[in-house]
Amino acid sequence: MNADKQPHPPGPFDTITKYLRRYRGYLIAGGVCIVCSNLLILVLPYITKIIFDLLENKGTDSERLHWVLAMVGLAILSGLFRFLTRRTVIWMSRRVECDLRGEIFRHLLTLSPSFYDRTRTGDLMAKLTNDLEAIRMMVGPGIMHLSSTLVTFVVALAFMLYLSPRLTLYALGPMLLFPLIANRVGNMVHRRAMKIQEHFSVLTAAVQENIAGVRVIKSFRQEDNEVEHFRSLSQKYLGLNMDLARLYAMMVPLLMTLASLLTLIALYFGGLEVMSGAVPLGTLVAFFAYLSMLIWPAVALGWVVSLYQRGKASLERVNRILETEPVIRDEPGELHVGEMRGQIEFSNLRFSYNGTEVLRGINLTIEPGRTIGLVGRTGSGKTTLVSLLARMYPVPRGQLFIDGVDINDWELSALRGQISFATQEPFLFSASIGDNIRFGADSATDEAIETAATTAALTRDVRTFPDGFGTMVGERGITLSGGQKQRTAIARAIVAAPAVLVLDDATSSVDTETEAEINRNLASVLEGRTSIIISHRISSVKQADRILYLEDGRIIEQGSHDELVQQGGHYADLYRSQLLAEQLDKL
Amino acid sequence: MSDVNNYHEEEVLGKAYDARLMKRLLTYIRPYRRWLLLAVVFLLLGSLFQISFAFITQIAIDEYIGSGDQAGLLRMALIFLVAVILASGAAYAQLYITQWLGQKVLHDIRMQVFAHLQSLRLSYFDKNPVGRLVTRVTSDVNVLNEMFSSGVVAVIGDLFMLALIVGALLYYNWKLALITFVVLPLLVLATFLFRAKVRRIYREVRTRVARLNAFVQEHITGIRLLQLFVRENHTFDEFNDINRDLRSVHFRGIYYYAIFFPTVEIIGALSLALLLYYGGVQINEATLTFGELVAFIHLVERFYRPIRDLSEKYNILQASMASSERIFALLDTVPADGGGDGNHSRSFKGGISLEKVWFAYKPDEWVLKDVSFTVEPGEKVALVGATGAGKTSLVSLLYRFYDYQRGSMKLDGVELTDWSLGRLRSHLGLVLQDVFMFTGDYAGNIRLRDQRISDDDVKRALHRVGFDRFLETLPDGIHTEVQERGATLSTGQKQLLSFARALAFDPDILILDEATSSVDTETELLIQKALDELLKDRTSIVIAHRLSTIEKADKIVVLHHGEVREIGTHNELIQQPGIYQTLYRMQYQKPAGQEPSPAAKSK
Ligand SMILES: Nc1ncnc2c1ncn2[C@@H]1O[C@H](COP(=O)(O)OP(=O)(O)OP(=O)(O)O)[C@@H](O)[C@H]1O
Ligand SMILES: Nc1ncnc2c1ncn2[C@@H]1O[C@H](COP(=O)(O)OP(=O)(O)OP(=O)(O)O)[C@@H](O)[C@H]1O
Ligand SMILES: [Mg+2]
Repeated sequence: MNADKQPHPPGPFDTITKYLRRYRGYLIAGGVCIVCSNLLILVLPYITKIIFDLLENKGTDSERLHWVLAMVGLAILSGLFRFLTRRTVIWMSRRVECDLRGEIFRHLLTLSPSFYDRTRTGDLMAKLTNDLEAIRMMVGPGIMHLSSTLVTFVVALAFMLYLSPRLTLYALGPMLLFPLIANRVGNMVHRRAMKIQEHFSVLTAAVQENIAGVRVIKSFRQEDNEVEHFRSLSQKYLGLNMDLARLYAMMVPLLMTLASLLTLIALYFGGLEVMSGAVPLGTLVAFFAYLSMLIWPAVALGWVVSLYQRGKASLERVNRILETEPVIRDEPGELHVGEMRGQIEFSNLRFSYNGTEVLRGINLTIEPGRTIGLVGRTGSGKTTLVSLLARMYPVPRGQLFIDGVDINDWELSALRGQISFATQEPFLFSASIGDNIRFGADSATDEAIETAATTAALTRDVRTFPDGFGTMVGERGITLSGGQKQRTAIARAIVAAPAVLVLDDATSSVDTETEAEINRNLASVLEGRTSIIISHRISSVKQADRILYLEDGRIIEQGSHDELVQQGGHYADLYRSQLLAEQLDKL
Repeated sequence: MSDVNNYHEEEVLGKAYDARLMKRLLTYIRPYRRWLLLAVVFLLLGSLFQISFAFITQIAIDEYIGSGDQAGLLRMALIFLVAVILASGAAYAQLYITQWLGQKVLHDIRMQVFAHLQSLRLSYFDKNPVGRLVTRVTSDVNVLNEMFSSGVVAVIGDLFMLALIVGALLYYNWKLALITFVVLPLLVLATFLFRAKVRRIYREVRTRVARLNAFVQEHITGIRLLQLFVRENHTFDEFNDINRDLRSVHFRGIYYYAIFFPTVEIIGALSLALLLYYGGVQINEATLTFGELVAFIHLVERFYRPIRDLSEKYNILQASMASSERIFALLDTVPADGGGDGNHSRSFKGGISLEKVWFAYKPDEWVLKDVSFTVEPGEKVALVGATGAGKTSLVSLLYRFYDYQRGSMKLDGVELTDWSLGRLRSHLGLVLQDVFMFTGDYAGNIRLRDQRISDDDVKRALHRVGFDRFLETLPDGIHTEVQERGATLSTGQKQLLSFARALAFDPDILILDEATSSVDTETELLIQKALDELLKDRTSIVIAHRLSTIEKADKIVVLHHGEVREIGTHNELIQQPGIYQTLYRMQYQKPAGQEPSPAAKSK
């Protein structure tokens, strides 16, 4: 974009100026309509005056009828312009709102998991609705009222100057205070509005978590405590809103007072001038009429300032998202997009989350088509290890290769498109079961879906549902049992027919019999496909070509099941302890 | 279609009865009616002072400037100054009170909605996306802001003014007054047409905003999955549809009020025109003086000012009504019944009995069929069964998250429905299959907001689940931050925390639903040891797929497709052919014909 060429530092408004430029046609048309409708309104009193003159001078009924009709006509014309003003300016503001929301959401989609690790969902929800509304108010009604105010102001000023430059000068003195006050108070409005918007985010996030965690809250009877907590948040929100309201309640009368003081000054000094004969009385009277026209714009100015500052605060909040660069994205330059064979190589890979080292030198080569079992204690780094395959977190150069290509040189979508995961926590969307399975492969046929479901031993459950694969599940799949969710996730992973398949503890909530069935079915799926199976249960990894035992971010044992059992290390211990119960039985 | 199939669509609300809605909305102001009155008084005072400006100017010009009385002019200027200050003071007081009033009322409504939400039954949350409910509590309530903060007071003020002016008009010249009113039916008609259109729009806006929030909520929580499956573009398209849909509703709305407001102005001009024409006729007939007409027209202009204001407020009112409909629909949702009076003074023993319990989430899709078994006080009972057999559902029934349709379920000899909900749940402690972590710290996730649980209790519970080795590495110990949903924890760690949570609450009956499914075996054995001691005389229900965790149970209940198939101890059940025996064989031995039992091999 041309922003690159301009050396000026980016301001908060860069985000919307490009939209304003895009819709400048609407803006210009809107401006013209605003000027026209306001001018017409100013003409109406003039026609009234003509009609009065006619009455005074005994004009005919038909003459009067003409003017009366002209008056109605002008009113209609002015109404038409008002209509067009809204149709253009407000219309444009809705477009800007919609476009900007799209831009933010699109940007959110590119941000990396590490961003979401520290961001609250409620905060983003607030920004996408509440803050955008504030921005829209600034762009739509804000611009509209500002223009009307300016037009009225300029017209009134012009008439005043025409009537008496001298009186105007008296009035103008205090008028210079307007921008000063608007600026001072404006900054205060900005700070307070910012606090309100930030707290609205907190409030939204609190409600979001409360509802998402409703089962925990109910089972531990935390309802009353939650209400009390929410009360304190809501009370604070009230307080912050009052801070702003107090300012607003002060600003409006202040501006009104100022506007009235203009009249006062004009009255006193103007009066003196009249007495000294410098200004005719009639001029003074007419002058007042125009001064009174300034009172409303003064009040409106306060409103516009508040709209502007609120919008600006929200814009800054929104910009914080837009300025966040995705940590993970396609590197510039030639990228690898080819078909993946599934050869994976870790070369002394080290990885830390914000300074805490989780993987400490992983060396590992997996030949295409092999099945790898990964075991290790909770928190040893298994999930982290596989998530790096999809570059969910940044991987240093030269430490992870797929098909001999550094993972950073793979095009992200090509990389992720060919590796498929059944994640440890099976996340489902509120869609039909079929659509959830189809998630990884848009083009999958119904048969493919059913085959995948059958492999995951899900089909017989689905058959018991009246709507079969069309059965809708709730958010996160809440209307399914734990095992059903997991099996849907497995089916989703295999239907994509990837080059590399990762099953992360994917059968932990499935009973032994079903698990055995899935393992049997998987054999054909795993054939010719690199796969990594993470599990705490030996039974799931036993058949793997090679099993890795991970501890504290290092691979401390590897080999086939039999080899490892023979070795008598951690794996053998694990194996024994899983059999302990039975051994006790035998005694 | 079942209601789950309409998951993303909100129910269509019936015809709106504005009067009833309005009456209900106004009840929220009742506690503050004195303040409301005060605000109206200040408003009227303010307008009075405003009007006085004109009078003062008038007098100053006519009496003092004309006669060259400088001292008099100064006096008038000072009076003017006083009037300005008074007007500003009144305006400040009025604005402050109305804003305060509005915020207060909003706070009250927000609290009511939130509190009511806490009382609703779980099935309500199954049916409503999180984002939609969030919208109700936050932005739907905020829509009411304008109505309560400026709307009500201004409307009262405007109506008051209007009444005064109408009286004055009729008093001055009733014939001309009637001519002025001739156009009023037009105004009523315009308002009527506008109302119907615009209400529909606002209703749609509210549902679209809720839909947008629901979409964002869901897809932000699922963002990792989206990215793993390269669904960004597809998701964006879906988002765009919703986003544009909202925009197009707004577009239609703009159209209507872009017509409505000018229409009101035009009607005003029309009435002025009529007045000027017929007033002229009357003047020519000499039934009206010129001065009278001028005065009358001034009044008529004042007459249209509150009407214009009112039409603006009418728009705000429509928006408020549309969102209050949704809010009231939520408030009218019947809460989960709080159960009986829960007057069980005798000591709690902890037996559970089920007799011919039938349960379905949706009519006629039975999940539990004719389930009967008992859990004696102090007994440890294991629930076993294939996935989807109905184990979790059974626990939900015990918690009265859902109510069974037939049969009877008793805790401590008292039917569940006769327990007060709070008392019932206070005896139970549950490790949920789906773990959930809150933003906060470790301690906060264990004790939740229950201040009776001390830091030491928290540490003890963490110790019991073998979390010590992680705790040591944390910078701030149990006060280390936890992110939303425990995003920076491993799944096993989350499960351990969720386990510790149940232990910290020290319940009479402990229920473990797959509590260690994602935990490594070493830790699992450690927990089991701790539990052996902890559960010694405590009733407990354990659901697990790994049989090792349940072998020591006093009783094992095997559930299959929602029916109880086998009941007995481990030793009894492995002797008899059946589901349990098969499961057991699967886990520890290969079926006949394959390699010999690994147990035999390893020693
Ligand atoms: N909230 C719900 N609404 C509708 N149906 C549900 C709901 N929860 C569970 N079900 C259905 O009820 C049946 C039993 O589910 P339940 O969760 O009780 O099984 P489970 O025995 O705990 O299984 P798992 O071992 O997989 O956790 C399943 O078919 C499931 O789809
Ligand atoms: N997004 C994250 N940010 C910071 N730390 C993290 C993050 N994800 C995981 N960790 C930490 O890294 C360590 C390894 O986590 P990981 O999820 O890889 O363990 P795991 O071996 O998969 O465990 P489990 O068996 O419980 O699934 C843990 O100590 C965890 O707390
Ligand atoms: Mg993991």
